[in-house]
Amino acid sequence: MWLIPLTHTHAATPSEIIASAIVEQSTSKQRDLVISLKGNPAPEVVILLEKWKAGEIFLYQDPEGNQIPVYLTGKASGDGTLATSRVSTGAALISPDGNPVRLDPSAEEFVDTSSGLRRAMKEVSDLAAFANPDFKKRLRAIEDSAIGQNPEKIPSLETLRSTEKNPLVLRAIDQAIAIINLKSNDPKLRTEACKKLGELNSIAAMDPLKTLAAQSAKSSDRITEKAALGAMNRIESHISTINIFGTLFRGLSLGSVLLVVAIGLAITFGLMGIINMAHGEFIAIGAYTTYLMQHFLGAGLDLSPFGKSLSIPGLHLASASNSYFVFALPASFLVAALFGILLEWSVIRFLYRRPLESLLATWGISMVLQQLLRLIFGSNNVQVTSPNWLSGNWTINDVLFGWNRVFVIAFAAIIILMTWLVLNKTSLGLMIRAAMQNRNMAACMGIRTEHVNTMTFAFGCGLAGLAGAFLSQIGNVGPSLGQNYIVDAFMTVVVGGVGNLMGTVISALGIGLADQSLQQILRNPVIGKIVVLACIILFLQWRPAGLFVARSRSLD
Amino acid sequence: MNASPLSARIHNGILAISAFIILVVFPTLNAMGIIEDFTLNLWGKYLCYGILAVSIDLLWGYTGLLCLGQALFFSLGGYMMGMHLMLMIGKLGQYKSALPDFMVFLGHSTLPTFWVPFQSFPFAFSMIFLIPGLMALVFGYLAFRSRIKGVYFSILTQALTYGASLMFFRNDMLMGGNNGFTDFRTLLGANLRIASTQRLLYISTAILLIIVVMLCKWLTRSRFGLVQRAIRDSENRVLFSGYSTANFKLFIFVVSAVIAALAGALYVPQVGIINPSEMTPEKSLEAVVWVALGGRGSLVGPVLGAISVNALKSWATREYPDLWLLFLGTSFVLVVMFMPTGMIGLPSQLQALAKRMKRKSTEP
Amino acid sequence: MNPKPILLAAEGLNKSFDGYKAIHELNFYLDEGELRTVIGPNGAGKTTFLDLITGRTKPDTGTLAWDDSKHDLLRLNEYEIYRLGIGRKFQTPTVYTDHTVMENLILSLAGSRGIFHCLFGKTSSNQLDRIESILETIKLTSHAHRKAGTLAHGQKQWLEIGMLLAQDARLLLVDEPAAGMTDEETHRTGELLLSLAGKHTIVVIEHDMTFVRQISQGRKVTVLHQGQVLCEGPVEKVQNDERVIEVYLGRKSKAA
Repeated sequence: MWLIPLTHTHAATPSEIIASAIVEQSTSKQRDLVISLKGNPAPEVVILLEKWKAGEIFLYQDPEGNQIPVYLTGKASGDGTLATSRVSTGAALISPDGNPVRLDPSAEEFVDTSSGLRRAMKEVSDLAAFANPDFKKRLRAIEDSAIGQNPEKIPSLETLRSTEKNPLVLRAIDQAIAIINLKSNDPKLRTEACKKLGELNSIAAMDPLKTLAAQSAKSSDRITEKAALGAMNRIESHISTINIFGTLFRGLSLGSVLLVVAIGLAITFGLMGIINMAHGEFIAIGAYTTYLMQHFLGAGLDLSPFGKSLSIPGLHLASASNSYFVFALPASFLVAALFGILLEWSVIRFLYRRPLESLLATWGISMVLQQLLRLIFGSNNVQVTSPNWLSGNWTINDVLFGWNRVFVIAFAAIIILMTWLVLNKTSLGLMIRAAMQNRNMAACMGIRTEHVNTMTFAFGCGLAGLAGAFLSQIGNVGPSLGQNYIVDAFMTVVVGGVGNLMGTVISALGIGLADQSLQQILRNPVIGKIVVLACIILFLQWRPAGLFVARSRSLD
Repeated sequence: MNASPLSARIHNGILAISAFIILVVFPTLNAMGIIEDFTLNLWGKYLCYGILAVSIDLLWGYTGLLCLGQALFFSLGGYMMGMHLMLMIGKLGQYKSALPDFMVFLGHSTLPTFWVPFQSFPFAFSMIFLIPGLMALVFGYLAFRSRIKGVYFSILTQALTYGASLMFFRNDMLMGGNNGFTDFRTLLGANLRIASTQRLLYISTAILLIIVVMLCKWLTRSRFGLVQRAIRDSENRVLFSGYSTANFKLFIFVVSAVIAALAGALYVPQVGIINPSEMTPEKSLEAVVWVALGGRGSLVGPVLGAISVNALKSWATREYPDLWLLFLGTSFVLVVMFMPTGMIGLPSQLQALAKRMKRKSTEP
Repeated sequence: MNPKPILLAAEGLNKSFDGYKAIHELNFYLDEGELRTVIGPNGAGKTTFLDLITGRTKPDTGTLAWDDSKHDLLRLNEYEIYRLGIGRKFQTPTVYTDHTVMENLILSLAGSRGIFHCLFGKTSSNQLDRIESILETIKLTSHAHRKAGTLAHGQKQWLEIGMLLAQDARLLLVDEPAAGMTDEETHRTGELLLSLAGKHTIVVIEHDMTFVRQISQGRKVTVLHQGQVLCEGPVEKVQNDERVIEVYLGRKSKAA
């Protein structure tokens, strides 16, 4: 045999072993050769075995009478032939006349496999997946191995268990073995498997357990039925625990979104009594500023405001796509704050004592701003890319923690901290609080209240801009972006009680949690939302002034 | 009351002439073929908006309650009428089924129970009053009892409307979902797709508008009107004059909800469609714009505002679709800031301005 | 035995705003037909006391009984208390500025305050006569159709007193009626209150000691201090009370 000299010169590669197995005449030796590859992590093992099994390996007889196993590559030419590669090395097969050998698959006979051989192959390829160095892929392979509950998989799982170190993978192995054992004929093995799955809180085992319970009920196998039902109970209570934690987490993150969009409103409405219906458009301004920053630091942007074309040159920073958000945050705050100053100066300052009029005038402003955004950026949503890491997640004990939600919560916490610091630790904050508590007194003490009003309003609008930058990372950016949040934002502030940041924080988180819990219970997001609105109205029956009341003796 | 008898008589004369033109001249000219069917139909729509505007003014201009839920009551009235009209289509729909098309589409085989009585017009007609009225009664009771007022009331009514529109957007509400109701055929046996029926609908709208304006005039002139305006100006003081402001506000809230609902019920057969987009808070605010531009605290102002803004809108959205919203938004801001009495108050505002200028120029 | 029934009895009233005790363990009894003057330095709780009686604020603890304990005022709201016959004139004149003088009085007329009545009720000729006479009393006959907002400060005070008259209340709570009035107007206000004294029970809150002396005329004066009754008695006795001189009159008389 031409192979034998090779095996003497160096240790045979997996491909060479497979090649020799293909030409081997004795089926038992063939099996032994294949089995010898067990646990070999080389990827070509699985690929070649799959080809063999699928009938894609052919034998080429060279002029010297040697059988050379080959597979076909490339595209079929006009005469239906394909190029060939050696199984042993993957190199193209060249005939003695120097031309590459081409074969017509329909004219040749492929190398057949016996059922025993196929079983051995399966064992090898299963184990190969189990040996994958990436533990996530390994985990996946193990979890998949339980599908079909095939007892033949147990030996390879057992083999793996003796060497595996990762606790998550070990748990998956136990789970897979137990699930397979549910189908065992040995009643003792079955009840033990049930017990094990219950202990593991295995969600994947729910369906097989259900089947087992039904079957054993039919065959009046009381013991197995009881074991299966017991395991199911345990797992179900585990599932509801997960749901509770998941709901809490989602509620917390929804509450954080509400908090971020409402915090600016808590300043303008809560502290100043201005109903800024254009608050949503300030959010949109912040989002579009983020969009502009992304392109300004990147490749630039072509716009066509009012039908004229406008090109914004880009700085082409290499790291723009990951770092632009850091620059976009202050930019969106400043741009929104500037628009806020403009609005306060041109409209709001005339309406301080007329809250209903301020509501209407700012709604007119919102109409104008929305249309301007539409005319500048188009009425379709624009693309704001968010960093890749936002799409990742952590799974802790079956509860999924999406990083985007973690980001939302962290962002809200930072914003609240910042706002609190500005209001309580800066001289601007001191003036704001003084002017809001007693305008005349503050004026007497030499505080320029008009100036403070402008700055307060600008601060509130800037916070709306930050909310826009934030929303651009977790959703679509379009001209009516703010409209989706305005009702919720007002509700949050009203429930929290006017003039109290703490109230807004608690009410935002409370509404977020209530919304998510009701969604979980009612299994319908819209009905959940409507019930939340109804609850808010009823809540205001009980506390008409919101959670925290700023008590005062003055009239009205 | 301040107006001199002569100017009051002129005022009433103008009103009577406008009423005559709207009620008699327009339909007659239409019947003679001078006014196109399309135009008359458009005016029928404007008049419905006019009624809606009066209902807002009754709350906002006279009682100081800025309600952002009037679009909800308007569409509820429209939906009640729409349910009857849907059932009157009979088997003429696309699916040739006795069920409304959207139900067949959703896979229903029998009419839901709450739809059945709407086959009767008297029932549907009473529901136009009852459903919006009850809704206003319950919501108003809760809101006024806990003394929610001013902007809080506005924000809550906005939320109510928002919640209701979410509800109606859903298919399993069985109210047509996104697409609402359309493809109406007959009302009380009359074919809705011929000019004479539409003319009758127009006349009914004009009559309703005149009745509503007269009713409101009487209401605001009675002692009730005194209390109403007192609530607007100084609600706390009214409590110390022994009036239960909550009851007064509740009464006027329900009355105005029913007026809006009637307008909606007449709107639907003329426009031929009702869907949840009519129910959004923005629609309420749009109607508030008409009132503000026309002049709140008067009864003619809102009607004038509704007609002129909508006539302008029909023209401008065709000619200048991009600039229309910019123009409307800006003029609304200016009116709110500088013209609290709107178009109707502009003459007296100019008069006062002229007087001041004169005084300034005569003074050294 | 008490010859007259006790109209208003306040016992153990407490009310604090954010820790500040505006009313502290206050006991106060008022007989039917009395004209009582209540004085006290700023922040003594005079206006808060009226707020408690009229239901504008509710006390933290204590009781407020009306008409020989027939009604518990704490369980009623503002307009229900008003309907028992308790009328109030506010410290700063609070009239309906956009209504005419006439309309202000019509709104205050005694009678049903139901919606139905307001819609269909007509102002009777009797009532119109009554308004006529009130207008005369408060010297506003020629201003009947002017908007109340355009009146002078003193006229607004009078209009508000006129509204009390129109109401025909059993108890009139009058908060600083003389504030912002000329001496002559003040004197006339005093006479008006004295003329009402027999028909109505009246509580007057006042700073102006001349005015107090004019209207009290041997009647009981109550001195409030830090939310409590400091002393009660005829004006002469009160004026000579050491504690009163210390907290209030002493400073005041020195200034005068």
